[in-house]
Amino acid sequence: MLEQLLIFTRGGLILWTCKEIGNALKGSPIDTLIRSCLLEERSGDVSFNYDAHGAAYTLKWTFHNDLGLVFVAVYQRILHLLYVDDLLSVVKQSFSEIYDPKRMAYDDFDETFRQLRKEAEARAEELRKTKQVVGKPVSSVKKQGQVSKAGLEGGNKKMSEGGSKKDDGDGNKAKVGNLTNGHSNGNHRMEDDSQKTDLANGKENTTDNVALDLSKLQKLRSKGVRGRGGIRKADSIGNKGSKVTAAEPAKKATKKNRVWDDAAPKKEKLDFTDSVDENGSNDHVDIAAADQGESMMDKEEVFSSDSESEDDDEPGSDEKPEAKKKGWFSSVFQSITGKANLERTDLEQPLKALKERLMTKNVAEEIAGKLCESVEASLEGKKLASFTRISSTVQGAMEDALIRILTPTRSIDILRDVHAAKEQRRPYVVVFVGVNGVGKSTNLAKVAYWLLQHKVSVMMAACDTFRSGAVEQLRTHARRLQVPIFEKGYEKDPAVVAKEAIQEATRNGSDVVLVDTAGRMQDNEPLMRALSKLINLNNPDLVLFVGEALVGNEAVDQLSKFNQKLSDLSTSGNTRLIDGILLTKFDTIDDKVGAALSMVYISGAPVMFVGCGQSYPDLKKLNVKAIVKTLLK
Amino acid sequence: MENLEDLKILAEQWSHQGIEYLQKIPPTQLYVAIGVLLLTTILFLLSIRLFRRTKSNTVLLSGLSGSGKTVLFYQLRDGSSHQGTVTSMEPNEGTFILHSEKAKKGKIKPVHLVDVPGHSRLRPKLEEFLPQAAAIVFVVDALEFLPNCRAASEYLYDILTNANVVKKKIPVLLCCNKTDKLTAHTKEFIRKQMEKEIEKLRASRSAISTADIANDFTIGIEGEVFSFSHCYNKVIVAEASGLNGETVQVQDFIREYIKP
Repeated sequence: MLEQLLIFTRGGLILWTCKEIGNALKGSPIDTLIRSCLLEERSGDVSFNYDAHGAAYTLKWTFHNDLGLVFVAVYQRILHLLYVDDLLSVVKQSFSEIYDPKRMAYDDFDETFRQLRKEAEARAEELRKTKQVVGKPVSSVKKQGQVSKAGLEGGNKKMSEGGSKKDDGDGNKAKVGNLTNGHSNGNHRMEDDSQKTDLANGKENTTDNVALDLSKLQKLRSKGVRGRGGIRKADSIGNKGSKVTAAEPAKKATKKNRVWDDAAPKKEKLDFTDSVDENGSNDHVDIAAADQGESMMDKEEVFSSDSESEDDDEPGSDEKPEAKKKGWFSSVFQSITGKANLERTDLEQPLKALKERLMTKNVAEEIAGKLCESVEASLEGKKLASFTRISSTVQGAMEDALIRILTPTRSIDILRDVHAAKEQRRPYVVVFVGVNGVGKSTNLAKVAYWLLQHKVSVMMAACDTFRSGAVEQLRTHARRLQVPIFEKGYEKDPAVVAKEAIQEATRNGSDVVLVDTAGRMQDNEPLMRALSKLINLNNPDLVLFVGEALVGNEAVDQLSKFNQKLSDLSTSGNTRLIDGILLTKFDTIDDKVGAALSMVYISGAPVMFVGCGQSYPDLKKLNVKAIVKTLLK
Repeated sequence: MENLEDLKILAEQWSHQGIEYLQKIPPTQLYVAIGVLLLTTILFLLSIRLFRRTKSNTVLLSGLSGSGKTVLFYQLRDGSSHQGTVTSMEPNEGTFILHSEKAKKGKIKPVHLVDVPGHSRLRPKLEEFLPQAAAIVFVVDALEFLPNCRAASEYLYDILTNANVVKKKIPVLLCCNKTDKLTAHTKEFIRKQMEKEIEKLRASRSAISTADIANDFTIGIEGEVFSFSHCYNKVIVAEASGLNGETVQVQDFIREYIKP
């Protein structure tokens, strides 16, 4: 069942929680959701999983951007509650009607919520049944039992409620509604019987039952679905104008598609019947789709897609010429008064342009897409302020998002950490990891130079026992910087070399040990295993990922695979992931600074240093504002 | 009556003259004149707004995430924390008379209170509000103090070395929240620990590189152990309990700098 449903403002004040559910949540899933998902620009995702304190929750959320409200539903992961999306959207709709910024308590919403929940459950119930019968004729008794349990609780009540609502509609629909009503009741009764008998018997019974249903339901299916459409219609007519109703089911339909992906073939049919209700143009779409499937000729494909898009945009196309007619004056007027509410269609164009701009700046495609989704989620339904254009609003939101991402969450003051380690009389260990040829050794030397300037004694550890010449390279750097180097030649286990180096550093009182490792491709299993061993054995204070600023889409793959491997291959309980990023070759990329964004977004680790030249002093901190400016230029 | 007719004729003459005069002027000049008129009015309106802002009554609530800023905000505004709070994603803002002063008669100057989210991703938001601030309340969780000590000190250090704070000498109240709990640390302990941490930070924050100008000023006196009394601005330590609504010291602090 639903564990909790919360409504809170973006400012963080809880406005309403479901008191009747009332069980206390284990841990703090809401705070975790906000901190690690919504604030990390991942609000475009579908759901969030929370594991801690022995609880496994799934959280779903929706925003009301205009009012600045967030709706979050929490439920146990093992239960795949299908009605949550639906419930959230109806709760959002009805709560936004009674919301008043000055009011702080909404006790009267309890009753409304109870009603909405029942309706949502009923809808999901019905849908599941049709799906179960048509999609998976034979299913386990357990699942059936669960359905019947949930159904029997309020099944009759819900149905009668639904029935009464349908009476508002035309007589035909009400009739169908009654039909489905009776049918589902019968179904439950039989289920109940089967539960009373022993298990094996029950199984037989249910399969029989289901088979019976199959024939019945196939006849009823189209009607039944239409009936459900009726409920929805009745629901929404009560609240809003008819224009909104046309848009509403379409929205819901797309959401539902996402949830039930195992019923792919049926889904389309559902949609099809639904839209028959709305307008008769549906046949046309079907034909067009068929055309697309059969013909391979370009011309026809273009044609069919054209006609399809026309059909899809039916409500929109009515408005478009009108908008054109209104012309210049109205657009000026609109920009002064501020547009009513931003819709998804308004945001599409500027976001697409923005995504392309980000991609030209070398941001990985996946990341750019996710960011745009998140910005879209944060803007949809928001009121456009006066004297602003949509594109500038979108740009502003994106700028905020980028600054938020690039602002480090952990302290990047290494010197402070070094001093803390010094107090504990142990060396501060930094491990440099990365793929081949990104400049690990060079930047290790730069970091050593910087540390030396701040009067920290440094020791290098040559743990690249793989590539010939690596130890000599490091030795050259050590000689030039006049720092001690710990080396054990080649053909040694790097983990052991690092361990000995740290022991040596403790003995001679070095403050920092910089561990150079061999470059490795993220897919190289044996080398990744060796790296994981090195990190687990020595437990360094900082695992620094060295990455080129030149990479584009590859950045995502590198970092996510490194992190993945480190967590998969770790033997001890606490997994060490990448703590920070060192971005190299930053002087070579001009304005294509996207790699910084991709890397930070995918790993959540901050950029601690930026290598920007050939000589030792060429090491900088990342200037977040400059990067954001360059990205959006 | 004649008088009125005379006036009418006079007005007609004037309007005729005016129209003629207008027609004489080239249209471009006319548009320019209208443009200039509009611009001046807009500038005038803007300057009025700016002028108003100089008399600031803004108090910032800052501190780490989870220290209880939002609860404190609602305690000061409504005298109740309502049904609890979650991590803030956006600042809470409000201009109001403090809840405890509602019973008082006479005109009281309202306070513009801003609760800035403490999540590190939202830190840059604070800088937007700092130029307007008249006072800052830095909230520290006295219950879970030690694990957060370093992060809190770093945040406070950033505030204390901010150019706006230093130049305008914005007073800071170090508010130890959640003192209703038994195991909460005392304010003296917290002050000492944070002074120690800032002392360490002072040593390490000697500019990493010129690329990033995070801290414009250094604080404290060279060669001496740092103490809050060394700051350019005033730093006061106080106790509060957001949950129980014991916010007298915070209110006193606010009213000290924003006179009612």
